[in-house]
Amino acid sequence: MTVLPIQMRGVARRFDSKTVLDGLDWEVGPGQVIGLLGRNGAGKSTLMECLLGLREIDGGSIALFGESPDALSDATRARIGYVPQKSDLFDWMTPLQMLDYFKALYPRWNDAKVEALLGRWGIDVAMRNRPIRRLSGGEQQRLSIIRALAHDPDLLVLDEPVSALDPAGRRDFLTELIDGVIERGTTVVFSTHILTDLERVALDVAFLKGGRIVLEGDLDDLLDGAAGQVVNGVHQPKSLEDLFIEVTR
Amino acid sequence: MTSHSPQLFSIVPSSTEPIYRQLVEQVRRLVAGGQLAPGDALPSVREVALQLAVNPMTVSKAYGLLELESVLERRRGVGMLVADRPRKRSGEGDINARLALLRPTLERAAREARELELDPDTVLSLFKNLLKESP
Repeated sequence: MTVLPIQMRGVARRFDSKTVLDGLDWEVGPGQVIGLLGRNGAGKSTLMECLLGLREIDGGSIALFGESPDALSDATRARIGYVPQKSDLFDWMTPLQMLDYFKALYPRWNDAKVEALLGRWGIDVAMRNRPIRRLSGGEQQRLSIIRALAHDPDLLVLDEPVSALDPAGRRDFLTELIDGVIERGTTVVFSTHILTDLERVALDVAFLKGGRIVLEGDLDDLLDGAAGQVVNGVHQPKSLEDLFIEVTR
Repeated sequence: MTSHSPQLFSIVPSSTEPIYRQLVEQVRRLVAGGQLAPGDALPSVREVALQLAVNPMTVSKAYGLLELESVLERRRGVGMLVADRPRKRSGEGDINARLALLRPTLERAAREARELELDPDTVLSLFKNLLKESP
C-alpha cells in the first residue's frame, strides 16, 4: 500500500481565543494536484504551516508520508518542497549563498535545474551576488520557488506562490509546474486567489471554511455542477469564481 | 496527412465550461468544419499542455473522450489522429450535426436580439449580410 503524502485527522489550532483550524480532516493522495481555496484569513497558511511542522497544533494528528511533522526523518524531509507566502529568512544572504546553503542540506539537489531556472527566470549574475533583501518582491518569489523545486520534491506545498509575479512570470511558473513538476508525478498542494491559474493546473480543489475542509472534489465535476443546484434533472454548471463565492460565503 | 500545431487550440479559463470540455468542443467543430481532416495528426498532449499552460491530464481527458466518441483514434507510435469516417459533407445527418454545433451560439444571439427588442426580419437581414462577408 502506498503511504499518503498528507493525512490530517481532527487537527485543531487556536490563536488566543480565535479557532483557526477546528477538527480538520484532510487526505491528499500521491500525484494529486490540488488547489486549496478559502477566503482571506480562512487559515490556508496556518494549515500549511501546521502540516509542515512549522507550527504546533493544539489537537489531532498529522502524518507526512506516514511520519509526524515534528519528528520527520531526513529522508522524508528531503522529499518535501515548500514555498511560503512571504519569506524574510536568509534575506541577508545572496541568492548564490542561500542556494549553496540549501544544497548542503539535501542529498538530491538538481544543479542543472537550478542553473536553467535562474537563467530562464531572469536572475542574472549581478542579482545572484546581491543580498536577497535588495531584490524585488517578484525576484524574491521566483528565487523561493527555485529553492523549493531544486531537490525534485515528491510533495510540493505552495502558499500563494505567484502573488508577487506579473502575468509573464506566472506563465513561466505554470509552464515549469506542468513540465518539470506534474510530469514527474509530484503531489502538489497550492493556495492562490488567481483562479484562472488554479483552473489550468489543479485537477482537484478543496475549500477551507470555518476551520474545516467543507467541500472537496474533482474540479471538472464541480464546474459541471456536481455540487450545485439541479434544475429539471440537469446539473447547473458554474464558473470557479461563482463556486468560490457560493461555497466560502 | 497534415500535422497540426498546438496553436490550433485556445481556451478561456474561468468560464462555466471546464477546460477539457472547451477542448472537446473545439476539436468537434474543427472536424465538422473540415479544418481537421480524417488522418490528420493532432499535436501531442504535452505540446498542447505547454502551449495552453494547462495540466496534461486535462488534455488527455479531452483526447480520451474524443476517442470514445470515435472523433479521434489513437494510432500506436503516431499519436492521435482524426478518425477515418465516411463523411458526406452534403449528407443530411452531417448537416444536422453541424447545425447542432451552431445552435448554442444562435440561441444566445436570439436572446440578445429579444432583449434589444429587435424585430426578427432586421436581425435576419443582418445575419445574412454577415454570412456573405468573407472572414
